[in-house]
Amino acid sequence: MSNKRLTVVTTMTAVGILMNAPLAAQNETWQMPRTSWGAPLIQGYWSNATMVPMQRPADLGSKEFYSLEELQENLRREFEDEYGETEAGTAADVHYQFDDYMMNKTADNITRNLRTSIIYAPANGRYPVLTAAAQASMADYNAWRAEHQWESAKTRSQSERCLIWDQEGPPILPLGYNSTYQFMQTEDYVIIQLEMIHDVRIIPLDGGDPAENSLPQWLGNSRGHWEGDTLVVETIGYSGRTNMPGLRGAPMSTDAKVVERFTRIDDNTIDYDFTVSDPTVWESDWSGNYPFNAIDGPMFEYACHEGNYGIVNILSGVRREELDAYEATGKIGD
Amino acid sequence: MKRFFALCLFSLSAYIVQAHAHHAFAQEFSVELPVTLSGRVTKVELINPHSWIHIAVVNDEGVEVNWMIEGGSPNSLFRQGITRDTIPIGAELEVFGYQARDRSNKAVGRDISFSDGTPLFFRGTQVPDAPQ
Repeated sequence: MSNKRLTVVTTMTAVGILMNAPLAAQNETWQMPRTSWGAPLIQGYWSNATMVPMQRPADLGSKEFYSLEELQENLRREFEDEYGETEAGTAADVHYQFDDYMMNKTADNITRNLRTSIIYAPANGRYPVLTAAAQASMADYNAWRAEHQWESAKTRSQSERCLIWDQEGPPILPLGYNSTYQFMQTEDYVIIQLEMIHDVRIIPLDGGDPAENSLPQWLGNSRGHWEGDTLVVETIGYSGRTNMPGLRGAPMSTDAKVVERFTRIDDNTIDYDFTVSDPTVWESDWSGNYPFNAIDGPMFEYACHEGNYGIVNILSGVRREELDAYEATGKIGD
Repeated sequence: MKRFFALCLFSLSAYIVQAHAHHAFAQEFSVELPVTLSGRVTKVELINPHSWIHIAVVNDEGVEVNWMIEGGSPNSLFRQGITRDTIPIGAELEVFGYQARDRSNKAVGRDISFSDGTPLFFRGTQVPDAPQ
């Protein structure tokens, strides 16, 4: 066994120990920390870094949780088969040194649960079926993208343009890196600042109807209230342009509604549960769950536009290759 | 114990390669244009969405030219106490990477180390001993 492999297997054991802490297992002597006005204290810095995939591998069927042994084996396989070193001279190798920059899912913390997927409803742990309209929209988008994506900055993706990431939500979904969130709290508002890409959600707790503020927004309009010790946030009023991971071309519609439930369950964990209802896009509602883990602050600024040289480089590269092709063939385009 | 777990996970991180990035690098840099560069650091930009390190490289004609080397988001580095001063101006770097598709003097830094072979930041972290 190579030193590297030994290191990986040894580390897997440590991760397995860490993950042997189901979310429901609270310390009975633990007491909810509270604000001066009596609300559960959720203010602080949290990470939603996780190794749990959004959708469950199809061969697991309705299996919602791994055993500890299964989790260790799954992680070992994932590391060795999918996260190994890339080979020089291949397209997959065209990237910076990930571990040098700690650009990975476990750089700050890791989700302590045995779930096989974040989605738990439908029971197969996968997105429900897209409506016919959403499937047609996605097909149209993909056809358009194939034709036009290299034309200008405006035809590049929303994340490349520093507009929004598909994981920003709501629902808030794990991204893979820069997974820090700062929760701020007053008696009347909860504010959630996202590290990636520095958006802020301001959630009034006045019990009002989110439809009262009806300007459509990328992150929708949220209103929250406390149900016992759980913060319940309802969001509507999406712009119709907010994508979900892996579903570009079928964005959340203006009819979408998301209900999030934040429950602090110990000093280090907020249980995060959400349900998405969007009959324009989905044949049925779907729900997910994962924990936010406490981490040390501060959170650092992610000024996306400040150094976004990449979009210029991508487009200048395409123009150069078009020029090379023209000089070689005397023809423009195909 | 919490510190132990944090250290284990930090070590674990050295072996994960994940696909998330601000953009697809193969769209910006060409696998057909591998480059190996030795150069002196002239500027460090630890900025988002991706950091850039500028190095002065003496080319085949003996002329010193500037290259920009792209790296990852600096936020996780900041959290670990790394700043732009961690790489001193004038330090000598060795870079293997892939040049920009527009053939300008830019490259993604697939492997970057100091001239003595020391990795730039955190590569090669070892698993710590378990606490007694």
